[in-house]
Amino acid sequence: MIKLNLAKNTLLASLLIGASFNTLAFDFQGAIKDAAKEAVKKQIDPNSGEDAAKPAADAKATDTTAKAEPPEFNWQNPSKEEEISLGREITGNLLGAAPLVKDAKLQKYVNSVGRWVASQSDRADLPWHFGVIESDDLNAFAAPGGYVLITKGLYKKMTNEAQLAGVLGHEIGHIVKKHQLKVLQKQQLLNIGSNFLSDKYAKDNKLVSKAIGSGAEISARSLDKTAEYEADRLGITFATRAGYEPYGLVDVLQTLSQTSPNDGSVALLFKTHPHPDERLAALGDAIGDKLDDVKGGQTLEKRFYKLK
Amino acid sequence: MNTLNKLKIVSSLALLFSASIAIAAEAGSALKTDNIRYEPYADAKVTGSFNRGDRLEIIKKQGAWLQVKTKKSTGWVRLLSVKRGASATSSGSNITTLASGRTGTGQVVSTTGIRGLTEQELKAAKFNEPEVQALEGYTQTAAQGQQFAKAGSLKTAAFATIKAPKTNSAGAAK
Repeated sequence: MIKLNLAKNTLLASLLIGASFNTLAFDFQGAIKDAAKEAVKKQIDPNSGEDAAKPAADAKATDTTAKAEPPEFNWQNPSKEEEISLGREITGNLLGAAPLVKDAKLQKYVNSVGRWVASQSDRADLPWHFGVIESDDLNAFAAPGGYVLITKGLYKKMTNEAQLAGVLGHEIGHIVKKHQLKVLQKQQLLNIGSNFLSDKYAKDNKLVSKAIGSGAEISARSLDKTAEYEADRLGITFATRAGYEPYGLVDVLQTLSQTSPNDGSVALLFKTHPHPDERLAALGDAIGDKLDDVKGGQTLEKRFYKLK
Repeated sequence: MNTLNKLKIVSSLALLFSASIAIAAEAGSALKTDNIRYEPYADAKVTGSFNRGDRLEIIKKQGAWLQVKTKKSTGWVRLLSVKRGASATSSGSNITTLASGRTGTGQVVSTTGIRGLTEQELKAAKFNEPEVQALEGYTQTAAQGQQFAKAGSLKTAAFATIKAPKTNSAGAAK
């Protein structure tokens, strides 16, 4: 027990130190998302005979030990299953705001492209899911564990399969690198830490119920720029490996860059991402001559599923 | 000589073609400072250069290259050095097109019509189990993905992960 406390405190200290470089840190108020909360709950229920059996009342009754919390979501090192359950929760909330386009052929097509691109990544083992949602926005979302959603508005801006592969590849890149998961982990661990600090092993270990912020708000948040640039590079990497013409994502970024920032359909995208011009320039720097020898990539505009 | 002539013919053909469908060469602007080359190859002779924000005309695309025309010269640049459309680069010279709500392609974009997914909407969203299940119902297996690729004659290419550049001309982390 004592060891565990020590370990946690050490972790906290390093998190606090490390936090200065994290643009999203110190958001104690909004730190825990309902999504995370729900995922935690669901995580608990199926598992344990003992801890899950004692609900909220138990939280008050005990406890001076640090390990009083239920066998919660392992935020320090989430398992693949935990990652997926968290992503599922976030995705379900997002779908609550914008449901799937009711077009089975479209959804199957997007899943086919996405699955093939995801198979070129380091996490081909995830159960990848892709969906087009009812929104005129130009945007796409990724959630931990292999969930990717793209708006109908953005889909309609595309004219070939290579472009779709590039956009899905960008989102796949976020998931492969666990960008969102890491943000949630940091927030959650900071929050756990802050409880320790303020309450000194207090009874209040209801971290899960302390949630502020809700729904799919996490999807409206920014990752830091470097994560976006990395996802851009990975999107092109995966699409190229999959046999597509490498510049599909670039085409889409060019289209986005021509969209007026005053246009409501890009408000959220522009708020949460570097401007497409910066992304194009960053890609140019990273790519240099690396694509010069890539030949035979396909665009497959004929196969591209057209939406009215 | 020969290539020069060819080049001339090709570019004038391209111009003729675009003229015939009543589209002038597309406008563009430089996303970064770069060299203009005589041919679309990394080791081709440098025939000019442009600076970030400079206006230019895009004559045509070939692979990863664009043939462009600036005030001073014509030649080839990597396509990622150029932003298509007439609107200025985000941090380039100031241009009024942004304010007028016109995009580079000349199409007028509504600045009021579409209201996007807002943060509030996302915050207020409620978990929708049937929709998640529907989403999961469309899942394709890796094997199905492979079949789909085969049907499209997509062939995997060995390609190393593109790494972050050592120095950025844009977007260096703050």
